[in-house]
Amino acid sequence: MTELQVESGAVKRWLSGLASGNRRWIQGSVAAGTFAGIATIVQMIFLARIVHLGVIEKASSSVLAPLFTGLVLAIVFRAVAQGVQTHLAARCSEQVRRTARRQIHQHWRHRGPLLLGQTSAGSLAREWIDHVDALHGYFARFLPQMALSLIVPLIILVLVFYLDWLAGIFLLLSAPLIPLFMALVGMGAEKLNQQHFETISRLSGQFLDKVRGLTTLQLFGQTDGAAELIQQRSDHYRRITLKTLRVAFLSSAVLEFFASVAIAVIAIYIGFGLLGYITYGPSSDLTLFSGLLILLLAPEFFQPLRTLSQCYHDRAAALGAGAEILARLGDEPAPNPLAGATEDTIDKRLSVSNPLTHRESVELNSVSLALRADHPILRDVSLSIRKGEVIALTGPSGSGKSTLLHLLAGFLTPDNGNIDLFGKQAGSFAFGWLGQSGFLVHGTWADNLRLTSPDVSDVAIETALRNVGLGPLLDSRKEGIFSTVSEDGQGLSGGQARRLSLARIFVADYDVILLDEPTAGLDSDSEIFVLEALHKLALAGKTLIFSTHHYALLALANRVLLVSGGEVTDV
Amino acid sequence: MSELKPWLKLISARPGRLCIGALLMLAALLSGLGLLALSGWFITETALVGLLLAASLPATINLYVPGGGIRFFAVSRTVSRYLERLYNHDTVLRLLTDIRVALFRELASVGRVRRRELTGAQWLSRLTNDVDALDTLYLRLIAPAALAAFVTLLVIVLPAVLFNSAIASGIALILGVAFLLATLAVYLRTAKVTSRQSDQQESLRTAVIEHLEGFAELTAAGRTGKHGAWLLRQAHQSSSQQVKADCRIGWHQAGSNLLINLAAVFALWSGFALFRSGEISGPVLVLIPIALLGLAEVYGMLPEAFGKLGATQASAARLNRDCREDAFSVAAATTVLPEGAALVANDLAVKYPENAPLFTHFDLQVKTGERVGILGHSGSGKSSLADVFSGLLMPSSGACANLPCAYLTQQTVLFEDTLRANLLLASPSATDAELWRILERVDLAERFRSEGDQLDTWLGSSGSRLSGGEARRVALARVLLSPAPLLVLDEPFTGVDRVTREKITLQIDAWLEGKTVISLAHAPDALPGTDRVVQLGL
Repeated sequence: MTELQVESGAVKRWLSGLASGNRRWIQGSVAAGTFAGIATIVQMIFLARIVHLGVIEKASSSVLAPLFTGLVLAIVFRAVAQGVQTHLAARCSEQVRRTARRQIHQHWRHRGPLLLGQTSAGSLAREWIDHVDALHGYFARFLPQMALSLIVPLIILVLVFYLDWLAGIFLLLSAPLIPLFMALVGMGAEKLNQQHFETISRLSGQFLDKVRGLTTLQLFGQTDGAAELIQQRSDHYRRITLKTLRVAFLSSAVLEFFASVAIAVIAIYIGFGLLGYITYGPSSDLTLFSGLLILLLAPEFFQPLRTLSQCYHDRAAALGAGAEILARLGDEPAPNPLAGATEDTIDKRLSVSNPLTHRESVELNSVSLALRADHPILRDVSLSIRKGEVIALTGPSGSGKSTLLHLLAGFLTPDNGNIDLFGKQAGSFAFGWLGQSGFLVHGTWADNLRLTSPDVSDVAIETALRNVGLGPLLDSRKEGIFSTVSEDGQGLSGGQARRLSLARIFVADYDVILLDEPTAGLDSDSEIFVLEALHKLALAGKTLIFSTHHYALLALANRVLLVSGGEVTDV
Repeated sequence: MSELKPWLKLISARPGRLCIGALLMLAALLSGLGLLALSGWFITETALVGLLLAASLPATINLYVPGGGIRFFAVSRTVSRYLERLYNHDTVLRLLTDIRVALFRELASVGRVRRRELTGAQWLSRLTNDVDALDTLYLRLIAPAALAAFVTLLVIVLPAVLFNSAIASGIALILGVAFLLATLAVYLRTAKVTSRQSDQQESLRTAVIEHLEGFAELTAAGRTGKHGAWLLRQAHQSSSQQVKADCRIGWHQAGSNLLINLAAVFALWSGFALFRSGEISGPVLVLIPIALLGLAEVYGMLPEAFGKLGATQASAARLNRDCREDAFSVAAATTVLPEGAALVANDLAVKYPENAPLFTHFDLQVKTGERVGILGHSGSGKSSLADVFSGLLMPSSGACANLPCAYLTQQTVLFEDTLRANLLLASPSATDAELWRILERVDLAERFRSEGDQLDTWLGSSGSRLSGGEARRVALARVLLSPAPLLVLDEPFTGVDRVTREKITLQIDAWLEGKTVISLAHAPDALPGTDRVVQLGL
């Protein structure tokens, strides 16, 4: 979890940045909403006109028929505009989410595998999927509604003023300046939402905490106690939350109250005006048409604001999710050699296999690195590795073997000195990497190998799999390399998974292959296959560099380097 | 719908509360409708009377009843809305508690083997989403739908009384279609899309996690961009499904609005015929259409709620599946514990499906009071063996019998609670003095005496406010506190430095007097004091 606090201003700026890229959609949605509002007004005009003509002037149905047609047209137009509005709003949110996901993914790539590995894949995935989805309501509902809650009431207000300025003043007074109202609603709703979301997330946090530790609770025979605790805590939070809700709901009650009272006051004013009881002001000009129209428009005047107050939780959700995403994006970017490059150029640089340049060796010149200020891992290391050499890095754990591999891979950049692999920068070309944990994706064996080498032939895939000793397993599957890796929902063992990763290296024909403890934690079968496979790669003239303690691997190497005390020496 | 049944039963366990909440909602809806309809009636009536008065004809109007009614509805709409929101939020929070507690009890009764597949971060976040989907089932779906149906009936009865039954049935027909359009039709048109989207979301989550786990390999091969682009496309597809569902919901909403408005137009058009023939008065003619227009608000929430019903069903189905009892439990051979023995294991083997057995033919006899160490490299099956000893895991063959045991699992599990609450799990009746004594043994007493809250120090989520070694020692202290005669300690000193480890080993020696201890570790120096050491996997 990121404990980093992100100020809400920054989140709002980020959200509006996302919005500005999709302004067209939002504007379209607002335009459609405005049309729907205008259609509503037109509908009410027809309705009031029909009632006035029919009831007061006793007009015949042939006179009313065209007006009824207009009324139905306005209603249909209103429905279409409403439909288009949600359509555009949904599209807008779709685009925004795509942009946000792209941003986050770009950030992942800039951070590099090493720093990324420090956060659990589960929470990163949750940010990428769920948090981004939480932005939906903000862009699809809140933003357009924000504009609409200004535009539509304003149009209605102008019309009502034209019909009867006193009624217009009633409306204006009952919504004492719409911005003020919105602020009021906003403050109340924001507080309410914060409280509500906090409570809910605390409750679900506690619940998950207990579920996570269910086995431990069971071992101590405490599951009943825990269930009671969940109950008690939930109840406690409920009572606290309700206290705040009592106050928080008041702000929307105020909006409701003004809306209701405005309608009541206008109805009574118009009624008395029509009776001729009011001698002051414009009321003597009131007719059933203008009176009824004002009454019908009064609820429409408040409706956009009420809708907006219902959308406030969308805003709170987006701000919450945005804060977490931004905290991640705000993580200090890794000093990655590829940082700053755009998405495409990275891939291009990596995938274009430049012909080997003049330098036929891997060179480290006075490389130093300290992961923490007072704790140097490597001090002034200079090293030259010839092409085709098989290098074993050994040394006590924590001495910097992995760090050296990460430097060669370009996952880390040195504080000082430079690293040069066959005349190229570390990490600027494709190479083989085998980490301590194997990695496989849901799909077929072929999918798994084509993940890193999309263009290889079926035969090459099968050969590679046999080279790492997965032949027998492959033979047992009906469809060979086209059968899924994890049939019946069962995965591979750790050793098999690592061999699958090794097969990827086999199939790809890399010049440089870096392996971090390739045999650690393997069963003896897998170990033999890995050793054999590495031997084959060495015979094929690949430059292999691996860290290990394993005697058989040390024997395989034609040069053993001891990494210890920040120095690298030949053994 | 059957997947929702157990949850609906849970929700309906508070019938009184649900009814009061629904009545308050109804009061708010009817006040809103009443305010508009009565105002419309009043204005028309005054307009007609006003005309007569202007023509100096005799006319009377009762201003007090409608005026009072309008004022009453204005106030009752505000008050009932406020009370309704407060009361129903209370209900939702109560339901939230009910659902969580019930789910927790269910999960606690599920076998450990199944839960093993279910405890990842991925599963936990899915669980949260699924529970959230059920919390609001009543407030968002059941109550509004029932009320909308009820209010619709009332609004149909009104023209049946005031107009005639033919017009009322015409209105009923239109409103019936509008209701179906806003509820059932939305559900039918979106259920497939949303459940597909929910599945896509799940596989997307898996794919993203795979992408992140393989990030180093993908980066090395220069494929993060291409694979990331593929993920983006998958994510986009999933949101496209959602957009599709959203659009359908939006069009259904617009459609049901359209029909409600058309019902109002129909009422007005057919009402005019009655008005001209003198069967009804002008004010009554206006009242019905305006009441009908007010229905739009009553129907407003329905399409979205029904659009989510498909996803809610999927959530309920997943939760039901998580709580499913194990279909099989291996009936392993039993063995009897001889006198003076703390543990007997005969010919044990542990094998996970599709994997080579971790170990086979494992025999062990431990006398009471003995300290046995078991060594094995990582992946040799130490933790599975410890699971078998503690009864969490059934061996695939062989038998094991032992005294009641306290088990320190390899993974440090601390709860988001106080230090005291975490320790008391093992021995609920332990006194503060006892707790301090055990903390001294694991060299943590000073650490927590310096904290302001002492034993009430909050440990944070998963003990995140402690270092790895400190958290480990709290977990160790908890197991030591347990009255069980047999202790199984799996890698007791993970993350604990050598000096502290040696100190603790000495300090707990006396404490363990008379207890049987089996400790498992990857290397001899990671074991506490032992009488003998057994090598696993040789």
